Amino acid sequence: MEEHENKEMTAQESLSLISETLNNSRKEITRRSGKYFLFWGALLVFFSLLTYLLWETTDNPAWNFLWFAMPAIGMPLEKFSRRKNPSERVQNDVSRINGGIWATFGIFACVMSLLSFILVEFADGLIGLFRSIAAVVGLTPAIILLFGMAESISGVVLKNWTVRIAGLVTGIGGWFLYYITGAEAEQLIIFAFAGLVLVVTGLIVKYQYR
Amino acid sequence: MMFPTLDPLLHSELRLAVVSLLIGMEEAEFPYIKEQTGATAGNLSVQIEKLSEAGYIEVEKTFKGKRPCTVCRITPDGRKAFENYVKALKSYLKVKSVSSAADTK
Repeated sequence: MEEHENKEMTAQESLSLISETLNNSRKEITRRSGKYFLFWGALLVFFSLLTYLLWETTDNPAWNFLWFAMPAIGMPLEKFSRRKNPSERVQNDVSRINGGIWATFGIFACVMSLLSFILVEFADGLIGLFRSIAAVVGLTPAIILLFGMAESISGVVLKNWTVRIAGLVTGIGGWFLYYITGAEAEQLIIFAFAGLVLVVTGLIVKYQYR
Repeated sequence: MMFPTLDPLLHSELRLAVVSLLIGMEEAEFPYIKEQTGATAGNLSVQIEKLSEAGYIEVEKTFKGKRPCTVCRITPDGRKAFENYVKALKSYLKVKSVSSAADTK
């Protein structure tokens, strides 16, 4: 940006400056979101493939607990990146709402996963009704739909069509993919697919606002 | 017709850029404002000082580890002044467009 001098401006110039500053601020937040999409997408691809491989080779679904390592690694790395770069520490309403959307998704995904584990492992017979509901809905398609929804809402908040469409592709595409891949370890491929869509979205957004 | 006077403190390019930047966010650090406005550190410091003296922004000087860190935030007075400034600008533009329409007739 050119240096702003201390000169007086016309009314039109003042309004243009205000509008340009506000637009730049929004673009900056969207560009930053692209970086986070890229980062979390890559992490999602890595963890889904790792969990898939370990589950597949050992035939033990307990490897799913590895998912909890994803935020444990990702969040400190994100915090470190924020600390290093002053532009990433800036928060406005758009970034706060966007953060809230993904935090809400994270909480829902964690609670749903833990609840289904508890219901399946410990509550057999006690709350059989809930167990059958969980079996009908399916944890993976439910999480992938939530994931796609969070991504699409992010796109609405960021006013970016790429992100909105990516959310639809992830949610609906992932849901269909579930019925192709099956319910065992292969279902984790859906999360790798979601991660890949997120990486591509991040790259496109970064390209759009470079 | 009486025009509302434009706040002279905001009617300066760099100070208006700083306030417009801070209006949409909770707070911003000095290097970020410098990067976004493209201003030199010296010039920016002077303008931030003026805005701070007028009570439009709040400046907090802290340390991040061993490095000094200046954080700026808009105050309620600053927000109000910005809103009044935008209102005044709009009324100027409205009158201007009406008079230029009359000139063309």
